[in-house]
Amino acid sequence: MSMREEVFAAKDTHFDLPQAFAEANRCLLCYDPPCSRACPADTKPGEFIRKLRLKNITGAVRTIKENNILGGACGALCPTEDLCEKECAATGIGLPIAIGKIQETLVKHGQKTGFKPLEASRNREPSRVAILGSGPAGLACAAELAKAGFQVSLFEERPEPGGALRYGIMPYRMDPELLQGEIDELLSLGVDLQCNRRIQGDRGAEKLLEEGFEALFLAPGLWHSRQLTSRGPGLRGWYSSIAYLQAIREEKFGELEKEFLNKRVAVIGGGDVALECVQSALKLGASDVFLVYRRSYTQMPGEEQQRLSALQSGVHFLLLNQPVDFITENDRITGLKCVRTELGPKDDSGRRKPQSITGSEWVLQTDIVIEAIGNQAESGSNTWYPSVRTDQQNLIRLEEDSPRTSRKGIFAGGDIARGPALVVTAVEDGKKAARSIMAYLR
Amino acid sequence: MTQTQPDLSVEFCGKTFFNPFLLSSSPVSNSAEMVARAFEAGWSGVAFKTLNSDRIPIIHPSPRMNPYDYGSKKLVGLQNVEQISDRPLKDNLLDFLYLKKHYPRHVLISSIMGFSNEEWAYLAKASEDNGADMLELNFSCPHMCVEGSGHKVGQAFHLLEKFTGTVKKAVSIPVIAKMTPNITDITEPALYAKNGGADAISAINTVSGISEVGLEDLVPKPNIFGVGAVSGTSGPAVKPIGLHFIADMAKNGNLGLPLSGMGGIETWIDALEYILLGASTVQVTTGIIHYGYRIVEDLIEGLSDYMTQAGIQTVSELVGRSLPHLQTTDHFDLNRQGVAEYDLERCIGCGQCYIVCRDAAGQALEWDTANRRPRLIEDKCLSCMICSFVCPVPGLISYQEKDSRWQRQETPVMDPALESGLKLAPPPWL
Ligand SMILES: Cc1cc2nc3c(=O)[nH]c(=O)nc-3n(C[C@H](O)[C@H](O)[C@H](O)COP(=O)(O)OP(=O)(O)OC[C@H]3O[C@@H](n4cnc5c(N)ncnc54)[C@H](O)[C@@H]3O)c2cc1C
Ligand SMILES: Cc1cc2nc3c(=O)[nH]c(=O)nc-3n(C[C@H](O)[C@H](O)[C@H](O)COP(=O)(O)O)c2cc1C
Ligand code: SF4
Repeated sequence: MSMREEVFAAKDTHFDLPQAFAEANRCLLCYDPPCSRACPADTKPGEFIRKLRLKNITGAVRTIKENNILGGACGALCPTEDLCEKECAATGIGLPIAIGKIQETLVKHGQKTGFKPLEASRNREPSRVAILGSGPAGLACAAELAKAGFQVSLFEERPEPGGALRYGIMPYRMDPELLQGEIDELLSLGVDLQCNRRIQGDRGAEKLLEEGFEALFLAPGLWHSRQLTSRGPGLRGWYSSIAYLQAIREEKFGELEKEFLNKRVAVIGGGDVALECVQSALKLGASDVFLVYRRSYTQMPGEEQQRLSALQSGVHFLLLNQPVDFITENDRITGLKCVRTELGPKDDSGRRKPQSITGSEWVLQTDIVIEAIGNQAESGSNTWYPSVRTDQQNLIRLEEDSPRTSRKGIFAGGDIARGPALVVTAVEDGKKAARSIMAYLR
Repeated sequence: MTQTQPDLSVEFCGKTFFNPFLLSSSPVSNSAEMVARAFEAGWSGVAFKTLNSDRIPIIHPSPRMNPYDYGSKKLVGLQNVEQISDRPLKDNLLDFLYLKKHYPRHVLISSIMGFSNEEWAYLAKASEDNGADMLELNFSCPHMCVEGSGHKVGQAFHLLEKFTGTVKKAVSIPVIAKMTPNITDITEPALYAKNGGADAISAINTVSGISEVGLEDLVPKPNIFGVGAVSGTSGPAVKPIGLHFIADMAKNGNLGLPLSGMGGIETWIDALEYILLGASTVQVTTGIIHYGYRIVEDLIEGLSDYMTQAGIQTVSELVGRSLPHLQTTDHFDLNRQGVAEYDLERCIGCGQCYIVCRDAAGQALEWDTANRRPRLIEDKCLSCMICSFVCPVPGLISYQEKDSRWQRQETPVMDPALESGLKLAPPPWL
């Protein structure tokens, strides 16, 4: 297999329609379904599974798509064991229903059969709304507004829409055609998508309100990698997770092959992004891939399934190791200096805090280091919207649990307001913001 | 949201139903409180639980139902010994007034059962006077504890005609006769009902049956304190019977009455099948006993999406659409033959096809033990297709027509040498 094929070969974990139907037949069709209550985006699993069970397949697809414009992506990516499936009543007598897989299958089935449940509104609202960022939060907000007849412009600095779904998540975890289909369906509702349009500069975002837009939704996500030291960016063999994953999604395989084939790769971090990096590095043909994390296995914030899958695909987990510096030769990385740690008393996060063991320094031989120690708001992003209250990390502060910011007419949601979160919570925020914007404009 | 929502409304006996989906007469339509919730959920009408005149008190046996399960599937069928309504007539009629007051556009069908001529007339009149839009005459309950009632009437065609006539004289609202499937040819009693003046026919009521026998106490179920009885079976298991009877009536040129179909409807596909075979409204009980009123959402959404995709505007275009394709078996073209075709790329090697073909069909498969794959000897394939029924991989085995020169092998005899001992006289027609 070529490098591209390795990266694009989807894991064969989805259902076909008969399998989804069989799974739906296990569903207890609960009253006041607990799974539906547990879905942040209100995708209504209890309802679409019942519809599938009663052979109302188009209706099932409609329920998903009307409630969650990214229902397919969520089906593929949601940590369902912590969400809908966690609440599944069938767990009381066996395994929970595979809700995420059913959801993904139904959306794919809709796409395959050309069934498009969403239609542009015939009602036309006079107001124009601007959305900054086409990640899941922006897309969900745009969908709700367009369905209600508002005129929506979606500004996106990158060449393609989708945010982290497009430039972060690897094709082997979610079929890019699934995402493309969902975005196409959104665009068919009449949303004005403007790619390669970066909104920036002093008051750059706020100015939109002076240019005919009556409301603004901020959903730029987190596109700045935290860094271990300031040395990294100057070194050859150094990558931020963002730049690395984006290079794969932009299919710069020639370049990547030169850098990664038969090389040793160290990825720093223990979250979902780090897991995405280690697994993709193996697919790029690295000889050894190390995940270097300062805490223990159970403390890793990354999703359990991804952790197991990384271990099984042969990633070496170097736990209880704190990277401290790079070893270089002529500005080229040759190793990563680490200190061993042990777990001390609990810290603010309630987890036992790693403490360096003095004198335990050692060097991991490596050609490449990818840093995945957290994504942050872009520094200076607060200057694009100076009258919106932000915190020290440049995250946007929302008013009383609402999607409203401190500035009238400006709303926000997704990772820029929550810090690193989920696709489904971004969808939730986008939907809530749309409702709030409609109330504000009417 | 859909732009050109198809029109689900139907005309039936001069009334407009805004969709073809009704509650049938049974516990699901026992009171106005229940029916009102069903109307809110989307059902367009109701055949209210069969009224009784209070002369003979009604007491339901306890317990009154038993499920018929198959493997891990629940309620493939349902057996019940429930009687007609045990509520006082007055209460039921008060509930009629409530429903007509709050749901004037929904259709209220009063189901009635008398035990004498006068009673039929009395119940019919009382129903009409208290707002019923139509009547449904219950000639069809197979397990009435009152002798000579229920399907006993439905099986005595002259009585059925007489009671229909009595009711027709007593009221001016349309009258539907509800038929029992526990007869040989349903068109016969239907024609008697027509002679009596019936405006429409509904079918089927429950099929006489026994769902299970208790192996500890040896009592057939439901076990009413040591006694079981042949009684009414409903649900998905009886759908083939219901479809057959509706189609027979729809095809009968002398009948020509509108039909309300029921028996095993759960999904929009079941409902559509009834419609395609001639029913213009459909009724449901067991589907609701299994899942609740909410299934109407899926009946409505499923049928309207189907109509949108098929480019059909009104339900009436669908009524009876399959009847021209329904013929007696002597119409089959026996010159056209085919075989099963295997897409072995997708085979998972379970071998179920091999077992059933060997034991129940043409011994047309060989088994490759090393590779765990079947190999089809085409000439031996009977095209019964049972292999495809048990194959767990959807679409792996399909039907393929052969050209007219193709010949199926005859089934060989074990030992031709035994012919010398064969005792068979030449046939007399030779
Ligand atoms: C590698 C990786 C793996 C993940 N895996 C999962 C997972 O398995 N399951 C899960 O639920 N979540 C996962 N997440 C998290 C999830 O993707 C995010 O929580 C979610 O995408 C946040 O959505 P958002 O709309 O807030 O922002 P984003 O998705 O970050 O989108 C923001 C968009 O705004 C654009 N933008 C930013 N600034 C500007 C500007 N000035 N002008 C114009 N456009 C701008 C960006 O280009 C981007 O397209 C993962 C994240 C990453 C990075
Ligand atoms: C528990 C039970 C009680 C019923 N009671 C009546 C009744 O009082 N009057 C009547 O006409 N039919 C009665 N029926 C028959 C139903 O109306 C219907 O004709 C039959 O159950 C077939 O439809 P289904 O498969 O949707 O249940 C009853 C059925 C059941 C299961
Ligand atoms: S369903 Fe209700 S009425 Fe029937 S036995 Fe159970 S609790 Fe009693």
